[in-house]
Amino acid sequence: MIPCNSIVKKLSLCTFVFLAFFSLQVSAQDGKQLFQGNCASCHNPFQNGTGPALKGLEDRGPWGDRNNIYAWVHNPVGFMATNKYTQDLKAQYGGTMMTAFPGLKTEEIDAIVSYINEVQPPVATKPTGGGSGTDNSGRNALIFGVISLILAIIALILMQVNSNLKKLSDDKEGILRPEAVPFWKNKIYIAMTIIVLFVVGGFYVVKGAIGMGRQIGYEPEQPIFYSHKVHAGINQINCLYCHGNAWESKHAAIPSTNVCMNCHKNIGEYKGDPLFDADGKEVNGTEQIKKLYAYAGFDPLNPNAWDANKAKSIPWIKIHNLPDHVYFNHSQHIRAGNVQCQTCHGEITAMDEVKQFSELSMGWCINCHRQTKVNFYNIDSTGTETGNKFYSIYEKFRKDLMPDTLKDNGGKYILDKNGKFIIHPSKMDSVTVKDIGGIECQKCHY
Amino acid sequence: MRKNFIITVMVSAAIMMASCKDVRRSPGRYYMPDMTYSRAYETYAELDTNIFTNKTSDLGEGKIFYNALPVHGTVARGEMPEYPYKNDSLGYAMSATVVNPLPALSADEMKEAERLYLVNCGICHGPKLDGNGPLYNDGNGPYTAAPKNFMIDAMKAMPEGTMFHSVTYGKNAMGSYASQLTTKQRWEIIHYIKSKQGVGAPAAAAKDSTAMAAK
Repeated sequence: MIPCNSIVKKLSLCTFVFLAFFSLQVSAQDGKQLFQGNCASCHNPFQNGTGPALKGLEDRGPWGDRNNIYAWVHNPVGFMATNKYTQDLKAQYGGTMMTAFPGLKTEEIDAIVSYINEVQPPVATKPTGGGSGTDNSGRNALIFGVISLILAIIALILMQVNSNLKKLSDDKEGILRPEAVPFWKNKIYIAMTIIVLFVVGGFYVVKGAIGMGRQIGYEPEQPIFYSHKVHAGINQINCLYCHGNAWESKHAAIPSTNVCMNCHKNIGEYKGDPLFDADGKEVNGTEQIKKLYAYAGFDPLNPNAWDANKAKSIPWIKIHNLPDHVYFNHSQHIRAGNVQCQTCHGEITAMDEVKQFSELSMGWCINCHRQTKVNFYNIDSTGTETGNKFYSIYEKFRKDLMPDTLKDNGGKYILDKNGKFIIHPSKMDSVTVKDIGGIECQKCHY
Repeated sequence: MRKNFIITVMVSAAIMMASCKDVRRSPGRYYMPDMTYSRAYETYAELDTNIFTNKTSDLGEGKIFYNALPVHGTVARGEMPEYPYKNDSLGYAMSATVVNPLPALSADEMKEAERLYLVNCGICHGPKLDGNGPLYNDGNGPYTAAPKNFMIDAMKAMPEGTMFHSVTYGKNAMGSYASQLTTKQRWEIIHYIKSKQGVGAPAAAAKDSTAMAAK
């Protein structure tokens, strides 16, 4: 009994010491947690938000005296009545009043203040290099072009030298030859030139005519350098956050300015990797956010006074244009058809400036409709339904998808010579968009 | 003479090749521009917003206000009745009495509500509702204000009406989501959050609001 007891005693002592030590630690190290839990929604140590930045607060206003901080946090309204500094702050922040935290103990407030004094601004990680990768294919084409030009000129010179030498030797040997016809009068040369011109010219004329009205690769300069790579790629914002209409309607739609301001009310600075436009020029991200503020009529120094109703639309330039005589519906494709945005728009999440990835020609549409399989409805013998119920009206296709046993004209099963049913394979292996009328003219032109 | 000619040809060829850039800044030509670019007014086109709506002083004949807001009190077909309270401290206090008009969600509706949450809210409040979405990322992301953690007790006790008020008008650093989510979608998302918090939807909400009123 005795040794056991002593162990219990020792253990409890240990626990007590540990707990005491730990509880001392708690108030110090939990400053961060308390700050994140209670203050960080409105205050940032380094940046004005809903409330002022808190770094260096003890040097400002009445906050040098810790008792004033306690009084303020526990009852801001009561404190403000007697204090001009906080009244001015309230006016500066659009009349927003701080929430009272009567439940915070004075040690906890101390912990928060010491956290604010200690915290350092996050170091922006700027990896070196990463500049726009130079494309070598253009330079290679240039080198090949120059080399073939030089070779062609050498060949021409050699031919000229050859004919001159021949003429010299002929003169020496006294052979009289008729004056050679110059090549620009030579009918064979002329005919060949015309044929070559016709083929080359025809190729470019046809190519140009087909390309008219097609904008593949179109990459206009937008009023604001908005990088889809930064927003949808690095920061993982869902495409539908801004283009939510794509899920519900014909158009993907461009978000109104207040949607940008949902985040940019708070994010006024670009701190990521350097940005480059398509021409390779470096772009200042923070300047671009300021352009947005100009359209929105937003003053970062006084964020709470912002009125979303006064914001102006940003004149974005539409890149993906379909002629008015073509019907295209976004929700039909992405919601019913489960097509990913990237299938038609390319790797948007890697594009700083968006460019048109697909041809958006009729042939391109039709090809995809021929190849894409629909989520066809099926029902098995136990009654379990799979796929899109809309397709349940296509009963013939459902039959054609099943392997069948052969019957004769009288409706009797045909048996092979071993007396077994003859099973012939299904007539279709899948149903594509084409099979359900996806290449009928009226589907898209009406 | 010939030497000069050769040099000129080579230089001009080099310039032509070097000047071919692969950045296409112009949309190109059209067969019938008036068919491609419709003469009809396009929504949000500059003509529409800047000329018509900004000059509200000359509200007169022949002016068309395409972008004007609907008349106050208009309810679109299929839309739920308007939320009655204004965006002020009184409205915020009163919002606690509003109960979620939607019945408990079916499995399909819950899936849709989850999708809406992940698209619109999860980016800040986190896919796990822990207030740590990719934009905040423990203070390392670009967003500098900490989004609310839905899993703390204060948020579990928050009445659904108050949550709706905040989503509709915005709160602190958060903006209004009334333009992105319909009334029904907002209530659906609140159902989803409450179910994730482990708070039973309608009964608990009623209890919460009385608790709030008692305070």
